[in-house]
Amino acid sequence: MIRLVSRALVVLLAAVVGCSGARRVDGLDPSSLPPDLRADYEVFAHRCSKCHTLARPLDSGITNDQFWRIYVTRMQRMPGSGISDSDVARILRFLRHYSAEQRAKKAAS
Amino acid sequence: MRALVVLAIVLAMAFATVLALIARPAAAVERNFAGSAMADYHLAPANHSSRSTAFDGFTTELALKAAIDVSDRFSASVKVCYGCHGFELPMAHLDYRFGTAVSLRVGRFSPSLGAFNLRHDPANHRLSSKPLIYDMGRMLRMREWNLGVLPSPFPDNGAELSGTHWIGETVQVDWAAYAVSGFKSDAQGIDLDWQRSRTPDAYYVDNNHRPAVGARVVVTTKLGETSDLTFGVSAQHGSPDAASKLRYTFFGGDLTLRIRRTNVRVEYLGRRQTFETSDPTQLAYRVAGARGDFFVKQGLYAEIEQPLSGAVDLVLRYDFLSRNGNVQAGSPLSHRSAIHRGTVGFTYAIERGLRLKASTETWHFTDEDHRGRQQAVGFHLGLVGTF
Repeated sequence: MIRLVSRALVVLLAAVVGCSGARRVDGLDPSSLPPDLRADYEVFAHRCSKCHTLARPLDSGITNDQFWRIYVTRMQRMPGSGISDSDVARILRFLRHYSAEQRAKKAAS
Repeated sequence: MRALVVLAIVLAMAFATVLALIARPAAAVERNFAGSAMADYHLAPANHSSRSTAFDGFTTELALKAAIDVSDRFSASVKVCYGCHGFELPMAHLDYRFGTAVSLRVGRFSPSLGAFNLRHDPANHRLSSKPLIYDMGRMLRMREWNLGVLPSPFPDNGAELSGTHWIGETVQVDWAAYAVSGFKSDAQGIDLDWQRSRTPDAYYVDNNHRPAVGARVVVTTKLGETSDLTFGVSAQHGSPDAASKLRYTFFGGDLTLRIRRTNVRVEYLGRRQTFETSDPTQLAYRVAGARGDFFVKQGLYAEIEQPLSGAVDLVLRYDFLSRNGNVQAGSPLSHRSAIHRGTVGFTYAIERGLRLKASTETWHFTDEDHRGRQQAVGFHLGLVGTF
């Protein structure tokens, strides 16, 4: 029974690794972003994934720049966040772009 | 005592007055609703002795949280969760920030103790089970061991003062100091009573007048744009019984290294716990002099999270948990008991915010069960979503 379950897990792991390829599901594909924002996105992805998945901010539905300013400043105070003042500026630059995209999508739909 | 109460009331009123005077009018009240849900199936095959003392089968965890930023300085958060023990209120607090460096949190929250608690939500850690030192019901032989060193989360009522300071652009120093109600136990209980500590049946009211106090210091060094090293130490001291005769002390240290998407974590947590020795028939061993009225429960975990592809993460973890000291009469534990656990797991992101978790655990107990076995295995398969 134990061997059977272990083998099933190994086969399942091999299958999902093989099928998933290189697509990046957790966050965004940096190549889909304007070149001047890719480095900002990497800072956002690294700092904001320390305590939670990137789905939290990306799927939050929040598109208000003022909200993000207050929210990111609050996250900066989380212990061990590693979010410096310059990181805040770069994270907000990415979020402003992402929020504008989301607003445009909503308006189009 | 009466003078202390009067002083506390005066201080609270003064603080409320200061808040009212210095709080800026809210530019806009912003609300953020978030949640997570996880269903996990735990299989402990052919281990009948463990089945009576472990949640094998389906378990579900659900959490809903609302955070409101009333102004730049003032915010509030409320979280409701559902788990194996029904609905709970793990979070209901107000935060006020003084300037740029110091914050005050008041209400119901998990005080700053250890590194894992920030990631305790099942959506925020990669395996179905928590590290053994923080286990809250997914370990084998959980009744004999009374769970981990400190089941996480551990919400409590009180106040916490915290601060964040930067040294240049590369070193972040965080500190927190707090006073909370503290964990609870019976006067004759040999260990903390986790259910009694968190149950709303007692209206979340403390069972003694002595608050538990604690502190945490964390230093984070940025090694590069996408790598950092974090080191933290924590402690908490309190009195669990109504008469405030017994004592517990938590102490721990943690290290986290992040290099791009790879995470390496090592964390130690210990607890020294005193218990009542006036009735030797309650104890399994004869009390040995002046040092026979306490036990030490401690452990550590080391884990690595390594992305294998854009959607699959591999997680390897080693756990150690030990308990040294006298035990309750009839307990299957000895005066020196330990557990070693190895875990291999992976997560598969079906889409952003929705993950499949699968893991295999191998267990080694220093104590035999009633069939003479010291080994066990467990399997987890779970689905977790954030929204």
